Amino acid sequence: MTRVDADIVIDARGLEPPEPMVRSMEALGQLGSAQKLLVLLPREPYPLYRALEINGFSWQTAYRPDGTVEVLIQHKQ
Amino acid sequence: MQALLSFDQAPPFSAPFRFFLTAPLFALLAGMLLLWSGPDLFASRWTPATLALTHLISAGFMLQVMLGAMIQILPVVAGANIAQPLLLATLVHAAITPGALLLAAGFLTSEPLAFRLAALLLGSGVALFLGVTGHALYGVASSNPTIRGLKLALPGLGMTVGLGMLLAMTLAGSFEVSLLQLTSIHFAWGFVGWSILLLASIAFVVVPMFQITPPYPTWFANRFAGSLMALLCLWSIADGLGWAWLAALLADAVLLTVAALAVLTLQIQSRSKRARFDATQHYWRLAMLCTLASCVLSLAANHLPLLAEHQEWPLLCGVLVLFGGGLSVMIGMLYKIVPFLVWLHLQNLGGGRVLAPNMNKVIAMRQIDRQMYAHFLALALLLAAAFWPGWFTYPAGLMLLMANASLLRNLLSALACYRQHCLKIAAGMASKPAGQGS
Repeated sequence: MTRVDADIVIDARGLEPPEPMVRSMEALGQLGSAQKLLVLLPREPYPLYRALEINGFSWQTAYRPDGTVEVLIQHKQ
Repeated sequence: MQALLSFDQAPPFSAPFRFFLTAPLFALLAGMLLLWSGPDLFASRWTPATLALTHLISAGFMLQVMLGAMIQILPVVAGANIAQPLLLATLVHAAITPGALLLAAGFLTSEPLAFRLAALLLGSGVALFLGVTGHALYGVASSNPTIRGLKLALPGLGMTVGLGMLLAMTLAGSFEVSLLQLTSIHFAWGFVGWSILLLASIAFVVVPMFQITPPYPTWFANRFAGSLMALLCLWSIADGLGWAWLAALLADAVLLTVAALAVLTLQIQSRSKRARFDATQHYWRLAMLCTLASCVLSLAANHLPLLAEHQEWPLLCGVLVLFGGGLSVMIGMLYKIVPFLVWLHLQNLGGGRVLAPNMNKVIAMRQIDRQMYAHFLALALLLAAAFWPGWFTYPAGLMLLMANASLLRNLLSALACYRQHCLKIAAGMASKPAGQGS
C-alpha cells in the first residue's frame, strides 16, 4: 500500500484528539464508491475501526518502521 | 456530509462520570479532616487521622478516578470492550464508595465493624471490576506496551486490595500479622504495582497523544512494566523473608526504575510541539517532579540513617506521592477525559445533524486555570505542613477544600454543558426528523 493508491490522504500524526477522528469521519462522508482514503496515525485507531465496521467500510492496516499506522479505507464492495 | 455513526460501543456517559464526580468529594472530606484534626495529624504517619487521610485520597479519590477512567479507556486504547459497562460501573461504584468511607471511619474510630465492612465492600467491588475488565483485557492480544502494562497493573490492584483487606481484618482483630511489614508491602503494591504501572501504561499513549510529544523510546516502553513488576515481586519476597540487604538493593532498583519513568516523561514533555503548555501538561509535569522527588527522598532515606530518623520525611514523601503525584496527574487527565467524553457522546447523539461543542469550550479555560493554581497552592501548603504543622495545617486544609470545591464545580459545569446540548439535540431532532437529515 502506498499513498499513490489513495484518492484522499489524511496525515493525522501530530493532531490532538478528537481531530483525527473528526477529519476521518468528514472524509468518509465524502468518499466516493470507488475512492480510497488513507489515514496516517501515530497509533492503532480502535474506535475508528469500529466506526468503519458499522458504517459499511472495509480497511487494510499497515505499520511503518517509524511507528506510523497506515489505514487504507474504501466502501465495502 | 452524510451522517455517520462513530461510536456504538462507548460506555454510557454516566458509567465513568459517576466516579469522576465522586472523587473530589473524598478530597473535600480530606480537607475537612485536616481542619478537624489540626496539626496533630502531622505528628506521625501512623496517627489514625493520617491513615484516614491517606485512604480518603488513595482508596477514595484515586481509586474512583482510576476505575472510572479504565472503564472508559479500555475500549479506546486497547480495543477491549467491557460487557455491560453501566451495570459494572453501578455495582463497583456502589461498593467502593461506602467502602472507602468506612475505611476512613475505621481508622478514626478503631471500630472493628467499620474495618470488616470496608474490607468486604472494597474487596468485592474491586474483585468484580478485576473479573470483568480482566476478562475483556486478557482476550486482547498483547500487541503494544500499553496493553501489556495494563495486564500487569490489574493483578497489582488485586494484590494491593488483598493485602489491604488482610490489614483491615487484622485491625478488626480477626487476624494477627506483622502490621508494619505488611503495610510497607501493601503501600509498595499500591504505589508501584498498581498506580505507577497504570500511569505508565496510559502515559505511553496519552502523553504523545494529548501533549503532542515524540513517543517514549521503544526499548523503554517495551521493558518498563515487566521489569518493574519483576523487581517488585522479588522485593516483596526478600522483604517478607527478612533478607534485609537484598530487600534494600531491590527497593533501590524499584525506586530508580520509577524515577526513570518520571525523568523520561519530563524530557519527552520538554519536546512538546505545543507552543504553550495547557493545564494537563502543567499537572503532568508537577506530578512527575513530585514522583521524582519522592523517589530521591526515599533513596536518600534508605542510605542516610540520619535522614531516616527524622519523622518529617515519611510525611513529606506521603504528601509528594499522594497529593503531588497521584492527585495532580489524575486532575490533569480529568481535564482531557471529561471534555472528550462530553464531545464524544454529544457527537453521537447529534448524529451529524447537530454539531457537538468544541472540546475546549466544555469547561472554561479560566476556571481550569484557577482550579490548577488552587491545587498548586494546596500542595505547597501541605508540604510546608509536614515541617511546620502548627503554622500550615489549617491553611493547607482550607486550600485543599477550595481546590476540590473548584474541581467539583468544573466537573459539574461539564455535566451542565452536556445536558444543555442534549436538550438542544432533542429539540433539533423534533423539528427535523431523521429521514430529512442531510
